Amino acid sequence: MNMDGDSSTTDTTQLGITGEYMTGGTYVLQTQDDDGDESFNDHEDGNGSKDYFREQDIYLPIANVARIMKNAIPQTGKIAKDAKECVQECVSEFISFMTSEASERCHQEKRKTINGEDILFAMSTLGFDMYVEPLKLYLQKFREAMKGEKGITPVTVSEGLGEELTDESFTGQLPAGLITADGQQQNVMVYTTSYQQIPGVQQIQFS
Amino acid sequence: MSEKTMEEKVEQATNSKNVSLPMSRVRLIMKSSPDVSCINQDALFLTTKATELFVQHLALSSYKNGSGKETNTLSYSDLANAAEETETFQFLTDILPKKILARDYLKSLEEMKKDDDSL
Repeated sequence: MNMDGDSSTTDTTQLGITGEYMTGGTYVLQTQDDDGDESFNDHEDGNGSKDYFREQDIYLPIANVARIMKNAIPQTGKIAKDAKECVQECVSEFISFMTSEASERCHQEKRKTINGEDILFAMSTLGFDMYVEPLKLYLQKFREAMKGEKGITPVTVSEGLGEELTDESFTGQLPAGLITADGQQQNVMVYTTSYQQIPGVQQIQFS
Repeated sequence: MSEKTMEEKVEQATNSKNVSLPMSRVRLIMKSSPDVSCINQDALFLTTKATELFVQHLALSSYKNGSGKETNTLSYSDLANAAEETETFQFLTDILPKKILARDYLKSLEEMKKDDDSL
């Protein structure tokens, strides 16, 4: 058995089955050689798992979800197994919820590609306004980090992402003083003109 | 959510690109929505990150609000209660039905039948 000492392995991996796929009654057997490199930053599904998942059964891996839950609650707390599975389903629901709202706005503005603004707007509209500010900070860090790795992306850009990940998208053209060190926002424009914008569409100010 | 400032929360990510959920899977879920053609990189990142925040938010809210105080365990019913009581989580009520014990259900069926009979 080649165990990487990856902390995410569960007992089921001893059998060559990755626990994360045993959800919602849909069982997928994964070959052993896929187990070893279970990374949490964009792991390309080596077993063609798309064929196994019905649309309504697409979930995020339970190990990842459970870990985030565990880190959120007080250290002494425990989580029931059915609670983990349930949050897994809630998560897919959340993603779909956000996506369809963002997609609708996109269509209204006759655009084909859902961009960051659409997502943030959807959050705000659907009662997750409290996420917006932290998310903008995270996005800035993400873009800075991407810039540092010119041409090398941390995620596997699969076909159909819809936008070329060129250096141009990430050159430092963010307005200076966008977000200052103390977290105060000087300037609410998050997206610059280097972003693919349709002329005439105003950049939305997030106030 | 915790008391830390936003900046602190962001700093605590050891790696500034750090996402602990697989973005390819998030993308799959997004694409399963009708009429979604293209998703750009920022949107994908934001959704993934937001999902993390959501998990933390849901877990902590449910735990604090629920029976976790006595049993120290976050249970399914804590989540179901949170969905019902918190406005933000109300979109989850369909997928988080409150569970009842089978015998209670059968009992209430019996009672309903009795009511019908007595009419």
